[in-house]
Amino acid sequence: MMIRIDSHTHWGRCWSERDGADPSNWLALAGKYGVSHSLVLPEHGLFNAGAIAAEHDLLERVCSRSQGAMVPCCTACIWEPVEALSEVRRCLSGGRFRGIKFHPWLQGCSVSVPAMDDMADLAAEFGVPLIFHDGTPPFSLPSQMALLAQRHPRTNVILGHAGLFEHYQEAAAAVRAADNVWACLCGPHLEGLRHLLDRCPLERLLWGTDSGFGLVDGLYYRVPLMDLLRLNDAQAEAIYQTNPIRVFGLHGVLA
Amino acid sequence: MTMIVDGYVTLGDGLTRDALLRQMDAAGVARAVIAPEDRELAVYNEEGNQRLLAAAGRAGGRFIPACAATPWRGEEAIASLDRAVRGGCRLLVFAPAVQGFMMTDDRVAPLLHRAGELDLTVYVHTGPHSMGAPTQAVLAAQRHPGTRLILGHCGSTDHAWDIGAVARCHLADNLFLETSLARPWTVPQYLEAAGADRVIYASGAPRTDLAFELDRMRETLPVETHPGLYGDNLRRILGEAG
Repeated sequence: MMIRIDSHTHWGRCWSERDGADPSNWLALAGKYGVSHSLVLPEHGLFNAGAIAAEHDLLERVCSRSQGAMVPCCTACIWEPVEALSEVRRCLSGGRFRGIKFHPWLQGCSVSVPAMDDMADLAAEFGVPLIFHDGTPPFSLPSQMALLAQRHPRTNVILGHAGLFEHYQEAAAAVRAADNVWACLCGPHLEGLRHLLDRCPLERLLWGTDSGFGLVDGLYYRVPLMDLLRLNDAQAEAIYQTNPIRVFGLHGVLA
Repeated sequence: MTMIVDGYVTLGDGLTRDALLRQMDAAGVARAVIAPEDRELAVYNEEGNQRLLAAAGRAGGRFIPACAATPWRGEEAIASLDRAVRGGCRLLVFAPAVQGFMMTDDRVAPLLHRAGELDLTVYVHTGPHSMGAPTQAVLAAQRHPGTRLILGHCGSTDHAWDIGAVARCHLADNLFLETSLARPWTVPQYLEAAGADRVIYASGAPRTDLAFELDRMRETLPVETHPGLYGDNLRRILGEAG
């Protein structure tokens, strides 16, 4: 089976409320569209800092039951830097979590605060990327993330939405501004996707659907939208397979 | 059978008149609003308006031309708008983030007032953060109850969260929602909150793919059961249907 990695998904509360920690339905939906593996980011903890640790435990349980198809990422409340670093270290030390996600807009924190620099160092220590929601001022601009990446050249920084509708050109500029900035094609319209594909190094492009926030099936739009790009084999292999394996360090992790 | 009208297409930006007609034929779209390119919205208003009128004149009634007039040009903009409407333009497009203003700025008022006098519908691009908030456009609509405003894109992406409240509580008679760039699965809730007669389908091509967007929307909301969405609402606003 061809590997197709969705680099941006969430395990939303609605899934737990319906399915507990059983990922069968979630995997069935992904499989229906040919998605073989998914990076699974938090959801509850992005809204409620007090829920972060429990959600990490839940994510680990869910993903452990996916036969390697789901790989969890963690998050932290950067306003409490000591606790944030401790919780992220706890997750990464287990080896199962392969990225650190921040949604600075929802979480109400700037990318440019000193605590984020400490988090970037921790990510480098464990060889995992920082994944940001991007495309939303004032806390989630691609340029802010590019400068963070420049300050921390050992840390890979992923623009989780490649700038969305309004900031995709800024996202392309950010990717070109530092060799450790990656863009996840997850959010821009077709023109934006073409712009990014034309201007960004192929070896730092990913793809994602942002699915899982709700129970609604958004893949029926997100998956065929990519078909309109008419990726050649090399592009498809890089974006869907080799690039996510490299940036998330998935060698030996995936089933 | 519903005549499908695409409520917003930018003619230009690589999309030629003939190519657009071919895409419409292939997708089963009878008519489309054609809007100016960004540079025409920002700077070359008059040139854009004339270009679109010329294109519409050679399209056998299938194009509904929109026009641009930047508020920064003051009285000149009013005169330009009058010329465009006399020539046949049917909507006025505001792209506040491209044109450099907010819908709540006083400088926009004369054009909104004039649009009302001309019975001209105003399409407002919403979504960009500081200059494209749907709530700004709602305040402008409240200040100009005689002018119809279409909230383009339903605030997508990040202002989409405003649309629920707008649709439920602030959708004055002169306000309508337009769906381009809104993901198809979000539109049913807008229809439910705003009412079936207040939402307008559009593809937003060529930033998007005209046929793909229509196909995905139809999968979510069939044309047969949503004639207003796919054309009747816009035609009614334009004074073409009851």
